[in-house]
Parts: sequence; structure tokens; C-alpha cells
Amino acid sequence: MEIRPILLSMKHNKFLSMVISLQVMLTVTVLTLAVSITNQTLSQWNMPSGLDHDNIVSVRTQFFDPSVNLEQAIINDVNRIKKIPGVLDVTPNKEIPFDAGRPSRVYLDSGEEAQGYNTNFFDMDENGPAVLGLTLIAGRFYQANEVVRGQDNEVNSPSVVMISEDMATELFGEKSALGKTLYLSKDNNPAQIIGVYSNFMNGERLNGRGKSYHSVLRPTVTWAHNANPNYLISVEKGAGPRLFDPIQEALYKIPGRYIYGIERLKRTQKRMYDGRGSQGAILLVVSVVLVLIASFGIAGLVSFLITQRRKQIGIRRALGGTKWSVVRYFIVENSILTLIGLAGGFGLTMTFAYIMAQNIGDSFLQFDVLIGCLCFVWLINICAVWLPARRAAQVSPAIVTRSS
Amino acid sequence: MLKMQNISKIFRTELIETHALRDVNLHIKKGEFVSITGPSGSGKTTFLNLAGLLETFEEGDYFLDGVNVKGMNDNQISALRNEKIGFVFQSFNLIPDLPLFDNVDVPLRYRGFNRKERKERIEHALETVGLSARMQHLPTQLSGGQQQRVAIARAIAGEPAFLLADEPTGNLDSMMAHSVMELLEDINKQGTTIIMVTHDDQLAKRAGRNIQIFDGQVSDINLDSSDVLVKRA
Amino acid sequence: MFAYNFQLALRSIRQRKYLTILMVMAIGIGIGLLITVQTMAYHNQKMPLAHKANDIYFIQADNRELGADPIVRQPFMIYLTHRDATNLMQGQSPATAHTTVWKSDIILNSLSQEVRPFRSATTVTNSSFFSMFDVPFLYGAPWDAQSDIDGAPVIVLTKESNELLFGGENSVGKQLRINEHAVTVVGVLDTWDIKRRFYDESYSTSRHDTAFISDSFAIKNNIMRNERLDCLPENRDKRGFWRTNDIQGLINSECNFVRLWAQIDDESRAEDYETYLVNYVNSQKELGRFPREMNNFVTSLHTMVTLANELRSGNDPLSFIAPLFFIVCLLNAIGILLAKFMRKTSEVSLRRALGANKAMLMNQYLLEIIVIGVMGGIVGCALAYLGLQGMMRVMVYQSDYSVTIDNLRHAFSLDLWMISKAVVISVISTVIVGLYPIWRIVNIAPASQLKSQ
Repeated sequence: MEIRPILLSMKHNKFLSMVISLQVMLTVTVLTLAVSITNQTLSQWNMPSGLDHDNIVSVRTQFFDPSVNLEQAIINDVNRIKKIPGVLDVTPNKEIPFDAGRPSRVYLDSGEEAQGYNTNFFDMDENGPAVLGLTLIAGRFYQANEVVRGQDNEVNSPSVVMISEDMATELFGEKSALGKTLYLSKDNNPAQIIGVYSNFMNGERLNGRGKSYHSVLRPTVTWAHNANPNYLISVEKGAGPRLFDPIQEALYKIPGRYIYGIERLKRTQKRMYDGRGSQGAILLVVSVVLVLIASFGIAGLVSFLITQRRKQIGIRRALGGTKWSVVRYFIVENSILTLIGLAGGFGLTMTFAYIMAQNIGDSFLQFDVLIGCLCFVWLINICAVWLPARRAAQVSPAIVTRSS
Repeated sequence: MLKMQNISKIFRTELIETHALRDVNLHIKKGEFVSITGPSGSGKTTFLNLAGLLETFEEGDYFLDGVNVKGMNDNQISALRNEKIGFVFQSFNLIPDLPLFDNVDVPLRYRGFNRKERKERIEHALETVGLSARMQHLPTQLSGGQQQRVAIARAIAGEPAFLLADEPTGNLDSMMAHSVMELLEDINKQGTTIIMVTHDDQLAKRAGRNIQIFDGQVSDINLDSSDVLVKRA
Repeated sequence: MFAYNFQLALRSIRQRKYLTILMVMAIGIGIGLLITVQTMAYHNQKMPLAHKANDIYFIQADNRELGADPIVRQPFMIYLTHRDATNLMQGQSPATAHTTVWKSDIILNSLSQEVRPFRSATTVTNSSFFSMFDVPFLYGAPWDAQSDIDGAPVIVLTKESNELLFGGENSVGKQLRINEHAVTVVGVLDTWDIKRRFYDESYSTSRHDTAFISDSFAIKNNIMRNERLDCLPENRDKRGFWRTNDIQGLINSECNFVRLWAQIDDESRAEDYETYLVNYVNSQKELGRFPREMNNFVTSLHTMVTLANELRSGNDPLSFIAPLFFIVCLLNAIGILLAKFMRKTSEVSLRRALGANKAMLMNQYLLEIIVIGVMGGIVGCALAYLGLQGMMRVMVYQSDYSVTIDNLRHAFSLDLWMISKAVVISVISTVIVGLYPIWRIVNIAPASQLKSQ
């Protein structure tokens, strides 16, 4: 390897060499930060939903007129919706898949010391599992007579529940969950687990903690003034948007009601991810543009260096250098500069990560991303130098006999 | 040592063909000191490029130290150039970024010598040209004559079969030119074949043999035997 | 001489058109991202109600239990109880006006049910709100002071909600319902260029309130409280009940949810207000309330917004990536610049030989760089415009189309200030990085490049 002559010649192009190294240093820093953040942003992104989310409609409503009899209203709503052609099944609900709110806790023991497990409760009537299209993994689905109905805060907790497959694995591991009891809150009677169903996405809060599919199905229908009788409606394939109007019409038959929104679960799913998705996309676009600019810039600088050294390349060729030795010379030269830049970039990234960790109190830097970015930038640099270097190798050695 | 048979070189553009060299036949023996003269544009430089393997030719055969160059690929030609030929140019062609030591080192590295051997050869070559004290200087710190000596040191360090000198004294004043000529003559006496392109008749006469190129054709004048041979194809 | 140098600079720019374009693009892209990010930050940090920002004060006092965590910085401070806010308004204070703010969600529906009911983000306040914050009216006027006392069923709509409910016509005197309560429209707001919704400390740029009702009406009719309730530990489990059901219970409790704004026209009187507040808290301490050490805040709107800006800045990863990105682009440009100048060494040494001095050459190349910087700034503005348009659409997408482009446009627009900033940053940074190449080229010895090696 011709390290010595390369270093000697760098001494004569200090400024340009510095520019290349600095550029590599900053590029790798920005890239690592951007990719780390993107990676973190997009973790658990677009997970399988476990639902036929294209063909389930969610409608959120609210009664503002306190004179409405809520129990009767829910019965009427369900009957009216069921009659609409294209509707397969309907259930009142509270939490909505992809949009479940603050996690609740369940316990295997009573008492103050009991360990809590994060989950989301989904309250539905006996049609719930069918609306969501859940598959039975073990046990049985609950019956109509097991569904608890009543005014919110007044009804008892149900005596039977179903849990999702992942929930069962977390609570009981390999052992069967059937027949076990579960405390739905610390000071309540436990419920018996009668069935395990296939996983479906609960919502962003638990998804962010890697518990995307932890849920408990409670056979419960409750109501309260100013709270939501929401409905989940399974519809014939592709019928969703067409049914929005008839469903709203049916619900407006009872006055004193406000419809907050009607949509397919597909859109609820989009809303769950798109904040993070678009932020990730912006950072990725910026990263790609950055890599493009840096590689064009480096290719440009190398080709400038080469134009400046045409004569020298000719001399080397005349003195017996092969084409490959010329290409190699430039690649080695560039790699030395890149290595310096990468080392600087490593330091700078760590500094930034440290400062940000101090500010945010949370470390986002991932070492595999850092190593990956370092290698990637090096590779990009070799590509950027490759084409101009190939051109350099085409310099005819006969250039030396021309008097300059 | 060097034998050309029916060599032609044609430059083609879309419109015209220029015959830079036509049917050159030439034989140079080991140990000769040959000068090549001719007016500007006669094909001297083309001849030099072909002889130095810096360019390829279309027709004919070229034997260098018994090896036919024709049909060799670029890597083989580069290796041959490195091993057999030493170059001395009018404009010296030293690499400005490198100190003298590293300039002389360039062809030796391509040759693949180990570090110890390279060091010995560089020191010996620079000693031969009288510049061993200035090994770590940069070319720009030297006078023109000194730079040309470094170029000669670089040319002979690899002990090539012959030395190709292109107007080696063209950029030098007469004092310096004289000393460079003497250096070349010394090297020749030690057995290295030298081919020197020059437009200076006085210098040309100091060589043992003079070849004139005119309009792409070669006339060979053997100065030692004083008889003139005109070869026409 | 300037004209000649300018000519030379332009010629040089044209000569290597390709290199110039590359350089301008490199700078432009860097500036583009930088200005995109900075414009968003700039709009997000604008001072609302700038002409009164030093006359409006936010009043807070700490009534929490002894064991609560101390609060040192204003942005983390709790609000007041309804009781304290009312007492402070009714006392002999140095303020010329007071208003309270708390938030609710109400369902607006027409009596005839012709228009479908919709949910309205609502501010519950008093009539001084509109004069203190210079709120413009399209139709009608705020409710009167009497309504603040007797809880008259009146409402002020915004242009947007008036459009939805009454098709945009003058609806003053017309009736509609808040949930099940019939109310009369007394006024409709004109477009209120508030920049950011400061009065509830949300600083939202895109979502506006759609109705305003009086505090007395809300209490009389138990309008729900869409607020965080900071309560004493023993009251925390009642919060749900107090939020929707028992407003009187909430008002009698030690729960904080009311923002109190005071207008103090003379800045020196702000200190008097602090004294007033201290005296009030001391009088309450005698009643056994406010068990903690005195911890009051009388903060001008200007200070509040500044503190909030500090707290919010730097959270967006783009805000620190953009400057680094710009430096990479600059390094790119400088490489190209150097390449460009180095090809001119022989021309420069000839000029030097023909009598040009260093200063003249310096001028010539500086001019060239400034022109390139200006062009980079202009390209940067164009790219920033595109970037902002893109970002705006991403925002619309991110909100799942619940905000419209019209709502956002003002927070994503380039104004003259940002454009000038772009050009100035571009020129200054280009000149800074160009100094070394210029220094190199003007220091070429005269005629050194003329003789062939």
C-alpha cells in the first residue's frame, strides 16, 4: 500500500482534504441521529391488526339531552342498525381497537401487593367477538345471559371474561388460562377466564410499550349521560363507506344525540400511526437528500483533485503504474480521509447523543444504527470516488511527452 | 534490444486520417546511444510514445528485449514499461507533492521491491546524480538542472534496459545541459542503452547513432561508420 | 472600479455555469431546509397580542397541601380555584380589568334540528375577556355585565360556528341550544388573528374555539369542565364526578382549574398587584387555607410566552438536524468554489502581473461570492416555500384531516422577514466559507503561473 505518498500529497491539499473529512464527519452524524430517531419513531409501526379493519365500521355518538332513556336507546340503535342491508353484526362498545385509551391493570391476586399487568378492557355484548371476527383459541365465547348491563358506575364487574392470546401468554405462560381467575381491579371480585381469542391491536399507548395485543374482553354494556354509546359494526365486504349515511340516519332517529364520527377501523388504524409515520418519512427524506448531496459533493471534489493531478497520473502510468494502481490510489486516499471523518463523526454523534440525553432524559442512540451508518457512509464514499477514479485511470500515459 | 518491424500509427478523426508514422523499421542494439532528430510535427513524439509503450500502434511488430509487445494488455504493458524503460523528460515530470526520495521511489514501488531494496536503490541512484544530500527536499526547492538529475535518478533506479530521453536538456541553460549530457554519457558507458530525442544538432552528434524522422518516415544515420543508409519501405 | 469588478464577477459566474449552478443548489438546499424549520419555529414563537403583551398579567397562587412538590417555574404552575379567582376579581385590586378562562366541550344544536348537532370547543369566561383581548366582532357585541352576574342564557359564536349554524348571516337575537339549554346569540366574532391561542395556555396555532359562554351561565347549568383539575389528594377520586356532574362541589373544593388574567395598564402597578395578592393569600391563611410558603406568580403575557417558547424549542429533531445539514451543504459549496478558483490561478497571476493589486482581486471575488450567496438565498426561499407547503400538508395528514389548510396557512407562510433572513444567512455564510479560497487566490505571486513549470 502506498500510504506514505498519499499522506505526503494530502499535506499539499490540506484544505480540500479537511473539507472532505468534515463533510463525512457531519454527514455521518446527521445520518446517525436521523436514522436513530426514525428507527425509534417507527418501532412497532404498522403491526398486523388481527382484524378485518376494512370491513368494520366504528361510530362514536353522545347524547346531550338528559331526558333520553339510554338503556332503551341502545336497544333501539342496535335494532335499527341491524336492519340496514349490508350490515352483518353490531355491538355497543367503549374502547375502540387502534384507539384504546389509558391502559388498565389486571391482577392475578387480590391485596395491596399484587402485581399489575397492563392491558386494555374492551366492553362489548355477545356479538362483539363476531363483529371483530375473533378466532377462538381455547374455551368458549360468552353468552347473552352473561353480559352485564347497566348505568355506568352502578353495575357490577362481569363474572366471566375472555383474554387475548398474548395476554394469556404473559399471565400464564405455557399453562392453560381457562378456568383461572383474574382481578379486574384491586377491590373487586375476580372474574373467571372462559376463553382465549386471537390477538388484535389495542392502541398506541400499549403498542408503544410493546404490548400491542394485550386485551381483555368484558361482557359489559354500560351507559352514562354525556358518555358515549359507541358501536362497532361489521359490514359486507367493501360496503363500509356506502353505509355511513344509512347508519347515521338510523342513529339520528333518536333526537338529542350528537355523532362524533363514523369511520372504518382502517382509518382509525391510519390515525394511530400517521403522526409517527410522517415524522419518520420527513427525517428519512432529509437523510436521503443529505446522503445524495454529500456523495455528489465528494465525487465532485475527487474529480477536481483528479483534474488537478492529470499530469501526475500520467507520470505514474508512464513509470509503470497499472490502471488499477491509479484507481486504488484514489480509493485509499479517500478512505483515509473518510476514516478521519468517520472517527470525528463518531465523536460528534456521541457528544450530541449525550447532550440530548441530558435534555430529554432518554437515550435514543442505537449502536447498531451508528455502526450501520458509519459503514454505509464509507460505502457511499467508495462509490462516490469510484467513478472519477475510473476516469482517472483512463488518463493516457502519453500525456507526459506533451510539454505543458 | 529494440526492434520495430513495419510499424504504423494512424490518428483517425471522423474526417481525416493522419499517418503519424508509416512502416517504420528499426533495430537498436544493446549499449547504443541513439539520437533522434527531426523538425516539429515530423512524428518524433509519436515515435517516442510508441517506443516508450505510452501509446499503442495499429500495424507491425515491436520487440522489446526479445518480447513482442503486440497484443499485450494494459497491465502487461505497464509492467514492461516499469521494468525495461527509464524515462527522462524535457519538463522533468517530477511529482510536486513528493520529496526527492519518494519521487525516485514511485517506479520502484510499482516494481514490487521490498523496503530495504528500494532504499538502497534510491540512495544509490541519487548518489550517482550527486543529490544524495537533498533526499527530503521537494522538487520546487531545486534548480532545473537538479530536477533533471532527479528525473534521471528515478529513470535509472530500476536498472532499466534502456533510457528514453525526450529533449532532456530542452529546458536547461547550456552549463546545466552540458552536465546532464555528461551524466547520460556516463550511464551509457556503464551499459544502459539510451534513446534521446533532441532538436539540437550538436547534442545529436555526441550520440553514436542518429535517426532522423521526417514526415513520419525514418532515416538512419550511423555516425560511427559515417555511411548513410536510407531505408525506404 | 466597482462596475468593472462586478462585470468580471458576473462573467466568472457565467463562465463555469455548471459549477455555479451546483454551488447555488448546494447552498439553496441547505438554506431551504433551514428556513423551512425556522419559519415554522418563528410562527410558533410569535408574540400574540403583541401591543398589549406587557399590560396583561396572569395570576397564580399556590394553595396546595404541604407535602406537594414545590413549583419554581411559572410554566409548571397550577391555576386558581374558582373561589380565589372570584375573590381576587371582586377585591380592591390595582388592575383595571379581570377575566377568567376555563374550557368546556358543548354540543351546539339548533332548535329546529335542521342542522346536525356538532361539538364545540368552548371558552367559559366573562364579558371583560372581549375588551381585554381586543376581540373583533362581526355582528353584535359581548354579553353585558349584568349577564355575568345573573347567568343569562347568551352565547357568542365565531365566524366558523355561525357559518355552520346560520349560514353566515347576522344571527344576533336568534336562538340555539347548548346541549339541552336554549340560548340567544348576542354576538359573532370576526376573523380573530390571534396567531396562537394564548389565553388558555395551549398556544395552538391551528385549532380555534367555536363558542364563548359566560361563567355564571356555565355554573347555573352545570356545563362540563374540559379541564385538568388539580385537587388536594383526598379529593382526587371525586374529580370525575366534579368534572361532569357536581359543579357546585367543584367550586367549593380546593381544586384549581380557573385561569385568571388581569389588565394592569401601568407596569409599575404590577408590583402593587403582587402586594395585593400577598395580602389576599395572607387573609386566606387566617382561614386555614394556603398551608404552604407563599408562592405567587404575577406574570406578564410577554414573559409567559417567552418562557413557553423556551420550554418548547429544541424538541423537534429537525431543529438541530437542519443547521448541521446546512453546514454539509456549505462545505459542498466551498469545495466547488475552491475547485473553481484553482482553475483560475494562471489568470489571476497574469492579472497580478498586469498591475491588479490584492484589494482589487479581493473585491472581484468577494462580489462573485456575494452574488452566489444571494442566488443561493433566493433558491433557498423557493425551496423553503415548497418545504413549508409540504410540511403543511403533512400536518393536515397527521391531524387526520381534522384541521384544514386554511387553518394552517398562516403558520406556514414565508414573510418578508424570513425571506430577508434567508438571503442574509446565505450571503454571510457563503462569504465566511469563501474567505479561505479568496485568500488563497489573491496570494498567488504575480506571474508565478506563467512560465511553464
